[in-house]
Amino acid sequence: MKAPLLPRSRFWIVMWAVCLISCSPLPVIKPTDQTAATVRKCRQPFLDTPYRFVHAIEAALPGGGSGTVLGITVFNPESKAIHSAIFTLEGFVLFDARYDGKLVVSRALPPFNAERFAEYMMEDIRLIFLPPEGRLLTAGTLEDGSAICRYEGNQETIIDVIVHRDDSWEISTYRNRYERLRTISGFSVRDGIPGMLELTGFESRNYSLRLKVISAEPLSRETIP
Amino acid sequence: MTIYRTIKRGTSLIGMLLVCTFLLGWADTWEDIQRASSKITSVSARFSQEKHMQILAKPLISRGRFYFQTPDSVRWEYTAPVRSVLLMHKGKIKRYTQGSKGFVEDRGGAVDSMQFILQEIGRWSKGRFNENEYFSATLKGGTGAHIILTPKEKGLAAMISRIVITPSPDRPGVLKSVTIVESEENYTLFEFTDSQLNAPIAESLFREVE
Repeated sequence: MKAPLLPRSRFWIVMWAVCLISCSPLPVIKPTDQTAATVRKCRQPFLDTPYRFVHAIEAALPGGGSGTVLGITVFNPESKAIHSAIFTLEGFVLFDARYDGKLVVSRALPPFNAERFAEYMMEDIRLIFLPPEGRLLTAGTLEDGSAICRYEGNQETIIDVIVHRDDSWEISTYRNRYERLRTISGFSVRDGIPGMLELTGFESRNYSLRLKVISAEPLSRETIP
Repeated sequence: MTIYRTIKRGTSLIGMLLVCTFLLGWADTWEDIQRASSKITSVSARFSQEKHMQILAKPLISRGRFYFQTPDSVRWEYTAPVRSVLLMHKGKIKRYTQGSKGFVEDRGGAVDSMQFILQEIGRWSKGRFNENEYFSATLKGGTGAHIILTPKEKGLAAMISRIVITPSPDRPGVLKSVTIVESEENYTLFEFTDSQLNAPIAESLFREVE
């Protein structure tokens, strides 16, 4: 009989370690009798007018790689249109794509040209800037008093929006009750704009990004590029 | 190719093109350029970088400082909006960016894309810019003299349309600006001020971040 790759005891240690990273159960929600106010609080991370953001993006990748690039995001919450560009500090454009009902990629250098990269990136941007469109499943508070709203996502996912008392927030997506896919945290929130965003991908999309805001500029319908 | 390597490649290509353009002397002919360049042993300057793109209403401005010492030591430093330092010294290339934990060395892949640039620097430092493997150079002399570099390779041409180098009209060896045109709506303009030629530069500037 072929020897197993790992002894049974080690296998469970490895599985436990993997689970520690990605198996994070859905937080327990304490019911509230002020659902409308809680839902309003959960809308706080999402801006209701078009904006242009410039971020310094610090990327940590599996295998220890890291690097810093600049990112520009323009979004319109009304039309749900998104335009995003990534470039080096020297100004060399690595990625440029637009979503306006249809995804159009104008430039994508390797590895930004990887299959579905642009699609996943638009998903992340949508998750950060646009409120969940799915059905509200439940709303309430966490043990520490933070407001939490749970929404139905697409493809059987669940989206939790948590807004803490200091206005910092967290948005997490789950595949089921135990499997967390992504978490986005917004810190140092001033006038509704987080000075720092942190994105962590779990499972197959294992990455970590820190986005420091360089500028946040409200746009009018006329000034949207 | 990893993200790191793509960033590195983009960085090295643009950063080092700027480095080499500093080695151009002001002149009407390539021979004059080579003569003027041979007298340059060091360069330092401040720069501003304007990124123009359709997605931006007004250009995104970065600022920094640049140092070069023959034969191949370079410090290309951004002070805003993100602090970052690229160091090249004695064949070693490192890049540090200030993040949440202070200056951190960019990691994750070989800096092999920089190696070919280092090999080129020897040629550029002699003003032999028209012998570049990757770009064809056209010199437009006279009033408002400028040099236009166009990529030789199709792959590179898909990323960079042309580079326009404008020397200072009155100071040989000093650059006024460099424009890297990726497409008509997407270009980066570098403008240089406080340029100093052949002034002593401490070696530690090419070895240490701070």
